[in-house]
Amino acid sequence: MKLGYKTFVRCCVAVIVCCLLSSCYTVRLKNVYGDPEPDPFNDATDYYRYMKVREIDTTIKISVTDKDFTKLIKDCSEGIYIMEYRNTFGGILLSAVTFGRKRKVKAKYVCLKPTN
Amino acid sequence: MATTKSHPKSSWDTLHNNGPFPLKTLHVTELEGSANMFSKYDRYNDAAKEIQRLIREAADKNEGFRAYGSAWSLSHIAHQKDNMHFNSFMSIHIPIPQELSHENSSYANENLFFFECGNTIKRISEVLSSHGKSLKTSGASNGQTIAGCISTGVHGAALNVGSIQDYVVGLNLIIGDKPTDIVYLERHTQPALNDDFAKKIKAKVIRNDHLFNAALVGLGAFGFIHGVVIEAEDRFLLKRYVKKIPKDLALQLADTMDFKNSTFKIDGEVDADGKPLRPYHYKVFINPYTNDNEYVVEVMYKKPYQVPYPDPFPVIKTSLYKDLIYLLIKISEKFPKSIPWFIKQLRKTILPAVDEETLGTLYETFWDAPYQGPAFACSVGIDHTNSSKAYKVLEEMTQKEGPIPGIFAMRFVKQTEATLGFTKFPITCMLEIDGVLWEKSRKIMSLTEYSRRMIEVLQENDIPFTIHWGKNSDWKFPNLVNDMFGEKVAEWKSYRNGLLSTEMQQVFSNGFLEDTNLHLPNNTNDEDLIVSL
Ligand SMILES: Cc1cc2nc3c(=O)[nH]c(=O)nc-3n(C[C@H](O)[C@H](O)[C@H](O)COP(=O)(O)OP(=O)(O)OC[C@H]3O[C@@H](n4cnc5c(N)ncnc54)[C@H](O)[C@@H]3O)c2cc1C
Repeated sequence: MKLGYKTFVRCCVAVIVCCLLSSCYTVRLKNVYGDPEPDPFNDATDYYRYMKVREIDTTIKISVTDKDFTKLIKDCSEGIYIMEYRNTFGGILLSAVTFGRKRKVKAKYVCLKPTN
Repeated sequence: MATTKSHPKSSWDTLHNNGPFPLKTLHVTELEGSANMFSKYDRYNDAAKEIQRLIREAADKNEGFRAYGSAWSLSHIAHQKDNMHFNSFMSIHIPIPQELSHENSSYANENLFFFECGNTIKRISEVLSSHGKSLKTSGASNGQTIAGCISTGVHGAALNVGSIQDYVVGLNLIIGDKPTDIVYLERHTQPALNDDFAKKIKAKVIRNDHLFNAALVGLGAFGFIHGVVIEAEDRFLLKRYVKKIPKDLALQLADTMDFKNSTFKIDGEVDADGKPLRPYHYKVFINPYTNDNEYVVEVMYKKPYQVPYPDPFPVIKTSLYKDLIYLLIKISEKFPKSIPWFIKQLRKTILPAVDEETLGTLYETFWDAPYQGPAFACSVGIDHTNSSKAYKVLEEMTQKEGPIPGIFAMRFVKQTEATLGFTKFPITCMLEIDGVLWEKSRKIMSLTEYSRRMIEVLQENDIPFTIHWGKNSDWKFPNLVNDMFGEKVAEWKSYRNGLLSTEMQQVFSNGFLEDTNLHLPNNTNDEDLIVSL
């Protein structure tokens, strides 16, 4: 049976969309120890409910000679409870077209609860 | 100085979305930093003054004031419509030197620890572990605060140990705004710390078993629990097995607790005569919608702490798509008959993996439970000898009048001394059904209706029962608390009445106490009750 042109295009689009979607994913790194810093006002109905969430959403520009970069976290004096990194298709594309000079950073993190 | 941020807030909810409930003000107190106030006792006492100020402020406005911990209770016990206080940042722990032990104390001084109310079970376990110690038991997870745990009576499945409140040996309560309103309670028959300790926290000491037992599971109504003294024990390991065993055998063990003479035997877990050992923990999981001849059981045996042992944590933990859960629940509301099928499909996520074996500390075994969306839990306590009878009638009701989106479990807990502790039987079987919160539809009854039917069915079958204070129920069911606790209710009220002024009883009351008729003081005003014995 011969595949129609339209069907072929649809299939291709579906495959590309699937690839794009799967290239956007989230990774969580969690500390086994300690409590999350709480936030009784965070009524979100997701994983972070009642936790104090901090976010990084920025694009870092580095020079061609720089291999990588380290972004410093200055507001977690007790350490990190959880870090969620989001990899987006836009971010990968941006890095590719700028030959790695611009790197999108999209992350969320929760600090460890300060101990008294 | 400890500082409180008071935020206007129109509603409040539990972790698992069992509300929302109306609110006026949410208070969050943070302690003075240790750089500015070096002594832990000073910072603790300074925080007590701040709480007293908040209590007076509420009383002057004729309003209520209620502390809460992690909002893990699924009932409305933690809710107060005027003022709620978030305790999490009040989490000092103070070591107890030998010279503060009471001369008649039967506790080893090295096992006594003093924790402020906002410390979580996880944090406490970490502190204890750094001293080579462990809690004796915990719930299935670790995010609750110590004050929240004892206020409702949190338990695990430690059949020879009891619940969390059962290893609390001292209670520091703030019952008003006067200097004499800071009290330190202990049992007179089992004193732990001496009066010098009480002086350090500027508290009046009252050693009285009856008062202590009444305040122990205090439902948030015995004032502000500022700190507790707990008795820990040497760190130990738990060897955990998950097995599928014949239904009749699982229920026979539940009814008899006679492990020694049972056919349930695990290689290596036997005594010198080859008879099965009595486990530390016994839990039965039951899917009420299958005709399986076997149940999944989880058993744990206590072992001495020895390193090294294999890492008990999995490296990767996955969670279900939340949208999938919401979708399932929406379908269940429209087509309840699909619930058993869904439960069957999700069994790998809901039930522990059969034949799994792990070895770890209490801390590692009962670890974090992430938020997974709106949830319900109904949990009744019955004498363990009634386990199979109670399960049978509740299963029948659930099958006939349900289904509802949850599965049953049984856990077994040694008797508590707390006056209103729901683990009141010699060994209590906590028979619970947990699942995803649903909304009433034309085809499925509401959660309150379901929990009312649980009460009615147990009453109709003459099965004495209690209900977990922190779980869902029809809390307005007529005469419910008297039916569960009989004369103990009057005793609890008398001690509350004696300890707290009428004004403060109102301040520390809430809708939950009103629904259960526990807010009304007794007519008796027995002055002699609140004395050291
Ligand atoms: C994921 C999950 C797992 C659970 N597992 C178990 C389990 O295994 N076993 C079990 O028994 N229960 C279990 N529960 C129920 C829960 O542990 C209890 O309801 C517990 O009381 C919640 O503790 P909390 O710190 O969140 O207190 P909250 O729910 O915030 O408050 C409970 C009560 O304590 C009072 N309170 C809190 N702090 C103070 C204070 N400083 N002074 C005076 N009163 C105070 C509140 O007013 C309220 O009445 C579970 C709940 C969840 C969500």
